[in-house]
Amino acid sequence: MFRNFIVLFKNFKVITGFIFILLSLSATAQTFSVNGTVISKKTGQPLTAVTVTDKGNKQSAITDENGNFKLDLPGKSVLVFSSVGYKSQEINVSPNTTSIKVSLEEEEDVLNEVVVTALGISKEKKSLGYAVQELKSKDISEAKETNLVNELAGKIAGVNVTNSQGDMGSSRIIIRGETSIDGNNQPLFVVDGVPVDNSQLLGTGGSRDFANAISDINSEDIESISVLKGPNAAALYGSRAAAGVILIKTKSGKNKKGLGITLNSNTTFSNLLILPAYQNSFGQGSNGNFSFVDGKGGGINDGVDESWGPALDGRLIPQFNSKGVPVPFVAHPNNVRDFFNTGYTLNNGVAIAGSDEKYDFRFSYNNQKQTGVIPNSEQGKNSFLLNTSYHITPKLTLHAIANYIRDDAGNLPGAGGKRSTSTMLQFTWFGRQVDISQLKNYLDADGNTFNWNNSYYSNPYFVAYENTVGQRRDRIIGSVELNYKIGKNLVANLRSGNDYYTDRRKLKIAYGTSGTPYGSYEEDAYTLSENNTEATLDFNKKINRDFSIDVLAGGNIRSNSYEENDQMAPKLAVSGVYTLSNSRDPLISSNYFSNLKTYSLFSSAQIGYRNYAFLNLTARNDWSSTLPAENLSYFYPSINGSLILTQALDIKSDFLSYAKVRGGWSKVGKAADAYQLINTYNFTAPFGSNPQQSAASKDLNPNLKPETTTSAEAGAEVGLFNGALHLDLSVYNTNSIDQILSVDVSPSTGYTKKLINGGKINNKGFEAQAGIKAFKASKFSWDVNLNYSQNHSEVLELDKEGRLQSYVLGSDRTVQVLAAVDQPYGTLFGNAYLRNASGQIIVKADGTPAINPAKQYLGKFTPDWLGGINNSFTYKGINLSFLVDARIGGSIYSNTNRTGTYTGTLATTMPGRDAAHGGLAYYYPDNKTSLPAVQLSNGATAGPGGETVYHDGNIFPGVTEDGKPNTTILPAQQYYKGFTNVDEQFVYDASFVKLREVKLSYTLPSEWIKNIGFQSATVSLVGRNLWIIYKKVPNIDPETAFNTGNAQGLEDLTLPTVRNIGFNINLKF
Amino acid sequence: MKLKYASLIFLSILLFSITSCKKELVKINKNPNAAQIAQPNYLLTAATKSAVDEYWAITRSTNPSSLFVQQWAMIQYTDPDRYIFTNNDFQEFWTVEYSSIVNLNEIINLADAQQNTNYKGVALVLRSWAFSLLTDAFGDIPYSQSIQIDKYLTPAYDHQKDVYEGILNDLKNAQAALDPNGKAIAGDIIYNNNISLWKKFANALRLRIALRISDREPEISKQVLADIQNEGGSFISNNSEIAQLLYLNSPNQNPISNYFDTRDDYRISKTIVDKLIQLHDPRLPIYANKTADPTPQQYVGLPNGLLVGDASNYGFSKTSKPGTYFSNPHAPAVIISYAEVLFDRAEAAARGFTNENAENLYNQAILASLGQYNISDADANTYVNLPDVQYDATNFKKSIGDQKWIALFGQGLEAYAEWRRLDYPQLQPAVAGVLNGQIPLRFIYPGTEQSLNGKSYQQAVADQGPDVLTTRLWFDVK
Repeated sequence: MFRNFIVLFKNFKVITGFIFILLSLSATAQTFSVNGTVISKKTGQPLTAVTVTDKGNKQSAITDENGNFKLDLPGKSVLVFSSVGYKSQEINVSPNTTSIKVSLEEEEDVLNEVVVTALGISKEKKSLGYAVQELKSKDISEAKETNLVNELAGKIAGVNVTNSQGDMGSSRIIIRGETSIDGNNQPLFVVDGVPVDNSQLLGTGGSRDFANAISDINSEDIESISVLKGPNAAALYGSRAAAGVILIKTKSGKNKKGLGITLNSNTTFSNLLILPAYQNSFGQGSNGNFSFVDGKGGGINDGVDESWGPALDGRLIPQFNSKGVPVPFVAHPNNVRDFFNTGYTLNNGVAIAGSDEKYDFRFSYNNQKQTGVIPNSEQGKNSFLLNTSYHITPKLTLHAIANYIRDDAGNLPGAGGKRSTSTMLQFTWFGRQVDISQLKNYLDADGNTFNWNNSYYSNPYFVAYENTVGQRRDRIIGSVELNYKIGKNLVANLRSGNDYYTDRRKLKIAYGTSGTPYGSYEEDAYTLSENNTEATLDFNKKINRDFSIDVLAGGNIRSNSYEENDQMAPKLAVSGVYTLSNSRDPLISSNYFSNLKTYSLFSSAQIGYRNYAFLNLTARNDWSSTLPAENLSYFYPSINGSLILTQALDIKSDFLSYAKVRGGWSKVGKAADAYQLINTYNFTAPFGSNPQQSAASKDLNPNLKPETTTSAEAGAEVGLFNGALHLDLSVYNTNSIDQILSVDVSPSTGYTKKLINGGKINNKGFEAQAGIKAFKASKFSWDVNLNYSQNHSEVLELDKEGRLQSYVLGSDRTVQVLAAVDQPYGTLFGNAYLRNASGQIIVKADGTPAINPAKQYLGKFTPDWLGGINNSFTYKGINLSFLVDARIGGSIYSNTNRTGTYTGTLATTMPGRDAAHGGLAYYYPDNKTSLPAVQLSNGATAGPGGETVYHDGNIFPGVTEDGKPNTTILPAQQYYKGFTNVDEQFVYDASFVKLREVKLSYTLPSEWIKNIGFQSATVSLVGRNLWIIYKKVPNIDPETAFNTGNAQGLEDLTLPTVRNIGFNINLKF
Repeated sequence: MKLKYASLIFLSILLFSITSCKKELVKINKNPNAAQIAQPNYLLTAATKSAVDEYWAITRSTNPSSLFVQQWAMIQYTDPDRYIFTNNDFQEFWTVEYSSIVNLNEIINLADAQQNTNYKGVALVLRSWAFSLLTDAFGDIPYSQSIQIDKYLTPAYDHQKDVYEGILNDLKNAQAALDPNGKAIAGDIIYNNNISLWKKFANALRLRIALRISDREPEISKQVLADIQNEGGSFISNNSEIAQLLYLNSPNQNPISNYFDTRDDYRISKTIVDKLIQLHDPRLPIYANKTADPTPQQYVGLPNGLLVGDASNYGFSKTSKPGTYFSNPHAPAVIISYAEVLFDRAEAAARGFTNENAENLYNQAILASLGQYNISDADANTYVNLPDVQYDATNFKKSIGDQKWIALFGQGLEAYAEWRRLDYPQLQPAVAGVLNGQIPLRFIYPGTEQSLNGKSYQQAVADQGPDVLTTRLWFDVK
């Protein structure tokens, strides 16, 4: 016990050291003859750190936090008031002036911008030694998305957002590349000081791309979003800082005089941004033959769900809806597109805010209702937010926030490749002759379902209306905070915040579904609760005219619990009743429970010198329940500094109006998940009366250590041409070591995974942001915001012994996404063509290309660089802006292209399919199709023995094993299928440039609306994801999230992405 | 100064609470979801079930083996029937068999601790069987270094010869460990905890493996048989002693039944149907269903390895599905049948390893197989006496190979191993096979071995030959 104490104390000597040093720095007072207050002309608030200089004798003073200063003066003088971001002002004072009040006017370019930093502490941006970027309310709320994360795309350098598939799914956000090989790489989200959950709970079934949990936050309530990029900015968050932190501050009623009411209404329509290009020349079938009897093999190829059938030339063939009567076999080019609807989202909100001296509040209610592009998909959200402060005494303030959100989705769209629920799986195999309008009423006169194919699929409308997944999430995010001003310079703060939700899902598969004839019913319930209780003590003092300090010390207790309970009736006893007891088989049940706790102590100190040089130090120690007793305490420090060169060197020029350099180093740790130390034996449902128990497939690790990430960062900010150009550059280098890796091991070891501390990954990158005031006249202005970032990662090591060369992040079919040693993070690894020494593809004797028996690297999913450019034009009350967003480099494996090639539905399978498309002529000797085809000259009408001639011959470009050009001719069907197992063929460049956002808004002149009681009125037309300006992968949107995990770069029959167009009305009165 | 004290007090409180809570933190991390200690009977049930499920899993072991030996054929998605596989297709089989072995090893550890040699014996028998499935299919496999993750993260591959010899040694030890008068076991879903039957099963497996290597190591084979005799051992001696898992109702139904509930990809192969018709084999109505639409022949097999369109042109309702006997939810998964033991004894006699009467045993084997499917004695006796069925002492490989192939219908993996070894029946490759007129002679290693156990894998390939379907395995002498 005592020894523990010593160890703890050692860890804390840094923190306590700060406090002793800084507390003893108390300075003695001076005497003055002139005093005064400096306030901001715009806000009326006192201005701190304004330099007041006596022009004559160069004496100076700096204003304190109340804007006050005192200065000893010999006689009549001219005082110069200057502060970064404000226009300097000169005031004449005479000996009988005792008190003056000065109001400074902001400079156009607000360089002394205040930003929210770690733990929600507002700091002047100039004092920070790391990059931080902020978005304001209007940047996010006007052009709304149902998933908040999407609104960050393209707006912040270094932030990589991968949009939802379809219109209701999850979105992934990564800042400065992946720093953890296996762990969560998404940033921590903190709302008003409360860490909130952003999991994507995929659960056991349903094949739905459930939205990540941060999408609960209503963008209308957000005042600002501050992005702390990586460990340097977020070090105070300790364990959870490695991937960066996104701080969200909600709106409050502060400084709202009287009662203000805001109404906001947003209506958005969505339609498909992209759909694969299908061919319309050949219908369902195989080898050119098709005739429908029962759709499961009773007719000619009618069980085959591929489009290698007869030409769509109007010939008469019995089809699924013709009751055996031959009808014209023609293409229905829009048969997939016609399935989709125009989606719409209605978003209506009201907010009431007010304040007086003792009390301020803001209450908002927002209702969102979305109907998706897929029939019968819909979700809704009701959100209530109350944000209040009450000054109990002048020193004691109580602050309380409560946000209640209810998500209610009647049905989420089916994604992925599950037959019973998928949308795009069926459509990638959809016969090109199928008239989808004939499927719409999916029950025939006798109440039976029918479909174009009954071997594998149920009617797509049946799937959409009967096989549904409903979701309801009730969530409360709340916090109570007490803030006590102990003394002039010392503030204590105690906050307890909670994020609690239950998420219940009902997964229905209807009786009669193909592949699941008895249907099924599943109920999944998740409960997640996290509490963070935090106490801090903040000491802030201007020590003398040169030095200021700001020291903070505190502690945090984090408790997290998670519970999951899944129940499933695997086969329904009767149709149409969805209860767990309506089951013909025993229920399949499982549950999982986890609990974790972290104690932390932390401290930070900022030392400022003359308001242009700053040194920031942080230290934190965490004690995590998830680590073994001997490793559960870990400590990490950070240091950073900034220097305003223009002030330090007293540079005043129109060309260089501002220059700052900054730099820093930090170290953060990361604990494990719960229960990763001791191997256990799992139970499975009994076999008869015999219970079953088996070893887990992962070998756990009783000696686990925390992960460590160190990061160095340097940057510069310059204001040029009188502030017309603002440039912010950063470089960083991040190393993560001792990563907790659940490495795949050969199953012959007895396990498929082993938990190790290993893995070293390096990320280095460069970021640039530029703000350009391109044009400014009295009524018209043009502003450009640019951001650019590149990140290069390299996996340096997986285990210390070097036995492991690659780590599987995920896979789709035979393609794996790897973290492989000496490779960038996220390489795609799969089957490639077998090539000879000169690089020619080797073709086997059967005419299809050979696969290299050794799998090859086929690309990496991480992009080379990201960029965004936003142009904003303002004329009087009209504002037009458009955001173009680019992600260049990186690869994607597309299973839509692969499957569509196999099925012959894609337009890309047209070359060589008939004479008109370059198909070669051939025949089979004696018309025996089991014999190899023999090529004929094009235009031949019969073989030498009068054999039938076919015109869909193709020769794969390559050479035989002996190096001779391949001459084996194959029918198109065999030709195209012949390379569908070659993953290389379906790996594409994932680059894209998108017109991400266009906004046209008009703020009505106040003189028009004042008389009718409005304070302001704005109407906007907004569009999101309007146009993919550039891409290389055919048939799909390269920006598609499989899920929010680390296995990216895989596309598997994802839903088409959507374009949103809508309008927004915002009224304040 | 006041501030200094306040800070100190504040920090001290925090420090104190944290130290006192360290124990609490450790306690919080105790996993409430699973047990830290295993029970041998529960492990036994789970290991048996997972190993047998995988052995009987349609797309993972039947697909390759029953198609290769032309007992089954595919009417749609015919790629596997045309020998088109990716190295992913064999992943599950590999993974699950090894993971069953982990549980069996754990039983052996617990048995040693509890001094219950019967658990040890049973686990050794099952482990030997699981390893034999793997080496039969792949050839060289990680064996001596397998399942010791703390020592070998990338286990080396053992030569197939050493694997079989190791298995034979394990089985000998199992035989010694199994004692009907010893401590009882529980959780045995094959023989309901009957140790005497496990002793017979162990010997049957020894016999099977002794013959497997008999073209290569006849001396070892002979020795194994001599050992069994010296031990006074006996074999499975009637159809009620078949080593098999009888499945139950859903969710513990037969995996093939489960598959047939939802998919319709398989038909019975034309090769075996034509053979059964030619022999007037009374097992035909058991092995095959009548065609859904009435056809003159009633039972119609599908040629193996057709192109998709050609296959479906045969008509889903005009070709026979594998018999309902095999797709029944309760259908047994047979590990070793009495018939197989008799065939094995016949062959051992024919090879001169024993002094038994080969022809007599051969006839008994056929009768046992017919008995297994409840064919009447009269029909069975008629069948055994057909000239085409009678034993040919000049070519025991043909007689035994042909009849064993029929008797092993449904036991794809064993039928495939024996076809490779005996080279009978003589099969024609799949119609649209992609191996230049060859039939696969092994499975390819799962793709993850390349990425996760690369060096060992490469060494195995260097020793055994290219990692392709057509590489001949050690036991399989041309």
